[in-house]
Amino acid sequence: MSNFKKFRQSHWYGLVMLAVITFVFWAFFKILAPQTFGDFNKLQTYLKTALYYAVGGCGLYFICVMGPFDMSVGANIVLSSVLAVNMSERFGYAGLLIAPLISGTLVGLLNGLVYIKLKISSLIVTAGLSLVYEALSIFATNGKEAILSPSYRAFGDYPGNLILALLAFFFCGFILKYTKIGTYTYAIGSNEVVAGNMGVNVDKYKVVAFVLCGFFVGIESILTISYGTSMTSASNLASMSRNFPPLMGTFFGLAFKKYGHPVIAIVVGEFIIQLLFQGFVALGAPTTVQNIVTGIVLLAIVTMTIKPVKGAVVK
Amino acid sequence: MSEVILHAEKIDKSFVGTHAIDHVTLDFYKGEIHALIGENGSGKSTFTSCLTGIYHKDSGTFTLLGKEVNAKNQVDGNYQGVAIIVQETGTLSGLTVAENIFLGKEDEFTKFHVKNTKAMNKKAQELLNSYGFDYIKATDIIDKYNFEDRKLIEIVKATYFKPQVLIVDETTTALGEKGRKELFKVMKDVKDDGRCVIFISHDLDEVLEQSDNVSVLRDGEYIDTVKSSDVTTDDLKKLMVGREMSGNYYRADYGEPISDEVVLRGEHLTVPGEIEDFSIELHKGEIIGIGGLSECGMHEVGKALFGASYDREGTVTTADGTQIKDIKTAIDHSIAYASKDRSTESLVINDTIQDNITLPSLEDIKRNHILHAKDERAFAEKYARQMSTKMVGVHQFMSALSGGNKQKVVLARWIGKNSDIIILDSPTRGIDIRVKADIYQMMDKMRKSGKSIIMISEEISELLGMADRIIIMKDGRQNGEFLRHEGLKDTDLIAKMV
Repeated sequence: MSNFKKFRQSHWYGLVMLAVITFVFWAFFKILAPQTFGDFNKLQTYLKTALYYAVGGCGLYFICVMGPFDMSVGANIVLSSVLAVNMSERFGYAGLLIAPLISGTLVGLLNGLVYIKLKISSLIVTAGLSLVYEALSIFATNGKEAILSPSYRAFGDYPGNLILALLAFFFCGFILKYTKIGTYTYAIGSNEVVAGNMGVNVDKYKVVAFVLCGFFVGIESILTISYGTSMTSASNLASMSRNFPPLMGTFFGLAFKKYGHPVIAIVVGEFIIQLLFQGFVALGAPTTVQNIVTGIVLLAIVTMTIKPVKGAVVK
Repeated sequence: MSEVILHAEKIDKSFVGTHAIDHVTLDFYKGEIHALIGENGSGKSTFTSCLTGIYHKDSGTFTLLGKEVNAKNQVDGNYQGVAIIVQETGTLSGLTVAENIFLGKEDEFTKFHVKNTKAMNKKAQELLNSYGFDYIKATDIIDKYNFEDRKLIEIVKATYFKPQVLIVDETTTALGEKGRKELFKVMKDVKDDGRCVIFISHDLDEVLEQSDNVSVLRDGEYIDTVKSSDVTTDDLKKLMVGREMSGNYYRADYGEPISDEVVLRGEHLTVPGEIEDFSIELHKGEIIGIGGLSECGMHEVGKALFGASYDREGTVTTADGTQIKDIKTAIDHSIAYASKDRSTESLVINDTIQDNITLPSLEDIKRNHILHAKDERAFAEKYARQMSTKMVGVHQFMSALSGGNKQKVVLARWIGKNSDIIILDSPTRGIDIRVKADIYQMMDKMRKSGKSIIMISEEISELLGMADRIIIMKDGRQNGEFLRHEGLKDTDLIAKMV
């Protein structure tokens, strides 16, 4: 096997690819908009947004690897964020941190249990339950905007946000690599019948995946409300648009799974998406153009990375 | 006779509408390779699946060395002293080799819920090395390895902990020469160690060669146990089927002229890494056999001719000049293909027998542009029954059928489609002798009615018995061609294979 072929199959190839893609996009927009794009301060801002989406992306990764999907991430963020505001008013930072973690985890648990018990598509279950979570967010706020007190916004900026996000990333990587949950997540995603025959409690670990997703979305909620400082309750599935930014990072994680660095891929993937968005803003492109190009670039990167085998079944 | 290692007492298991095993009582002994044979659907795999926890028996007891075995799943079965190597793929993509070997047994490497990946990899590599598979790396993602190497990994997974009873369920059909050798070596080691192997195979020569005793099941019932040294394959066939089976169920003619009319022409076919500059002309009413060692590229030829190969170079042309570049064109021009890998390439496993049979024929079944459920059912029933498929009804799901019955459904589909050119890859793989005979008769009838067949097969006797012309492949290339004649011997073919 040639050295290049060996390198292509190694873990390093994935990391180098991510670095190269990041640099190419940064350089592209920096050349076109040198004044308004990509200096050190701006890069920090892009990273700030990327961090909280990436935390949610880590949670979604557990579910997407197995095969199901979670459409309630947006509703979970809304509910957990407004609860974080409410509880921070009573218990300070303890409320800000613990309330969304508990609510996010409970939402994940409920999603998982209903999905397993009803044995219907996770898309339908989580979309249906999103309506419930949105309604709960309205009850929690009486329909008013929840605003986080300036005294509790430490996780909205460096270093608080970075520390919390890094803790989440390490925790995610640790679960994937050093616990049974990680192995079983991949095993169920590969063939749940065979995994079941090997003694893996498939239903239990699917619920665990939903719980973990909810937990990480809880952390994303802390970062979201701390950075954005306010949250309005949602209804009629208005929270759906919040599902997609973390999902983009998950796509990167799935695409780079084979190189063994899904968490790094999720974080860098979110950063790349931010570079794109902010690059177009710097160029003054209308939002519609931004969305079109971002969507195409995302597909192109994932396609290039996965290099699907010709004839492979893709669902 | 030595001491009983495993006693099965009145094992009973039913599925919806099928009594799969009917109160089977059997003894297995220490230091024994005990073959379990029977027709497709006779209950062999269900019996061993009940022992290993893949299925849960309805009643009866398994007693291993005096202790009752009640496995909840395969890993639980392993802990209770039984292990199984299955016919289809039993490893999981996306996991490393080490994770596959120890799947379900991570606790052996876990402290305070933290997995010691390094120790697991080290142990897995030691095991692989001890089996002589040191070219397989424990840390590699298993997808890197081919089907045969993955089977070898399964052998390690199923035997490293020295199970008292090892079940080898139709595994040999999936293996090439190298894999079979390794498997038989492992089986012999288990036997020499005073443990027991339950060996399931449809290859009766292989059964007599490898086993000490043979037990026969028929329609879920225990029939008899005989010593391998006391019986012939014909005796076994009689026990399996319940009546005399003539040893020669191939076509009897020799020297019949072949039509000059070419119905399919493949020219300079190349699929990188698989086949190289392969050309073939199939005549009307001809059966061409393609043989060789498992990895010689012959299985890719079927796909290449059917338009199912990717990166194919060269041309495939029908008699009317149509170029076959994709599957749809092939089917539209009356070409049928049954893949060797029926579970993943031929069948919609989570669908019914009816849907699997009618799928390519829906246009033909339609009346006034509308599909009528009654017509579909009648169509499926006609061809399923023609192939003697053992089933509750055509509404039954494919996943509930035995391996051989699945193959019957594949064949029923293409008989129903009434294609003129039929490409059959390993058509009798995992199929019992009675159905084998039916398939050979069906092929002969098709040939006589002017249909043309390409039969890809690893069974030399099948090639000699059925083909008008035999092409032998080696390393992706044609390495020899033989015309049908009485004097043609298996050694002539083998000489061109190796």
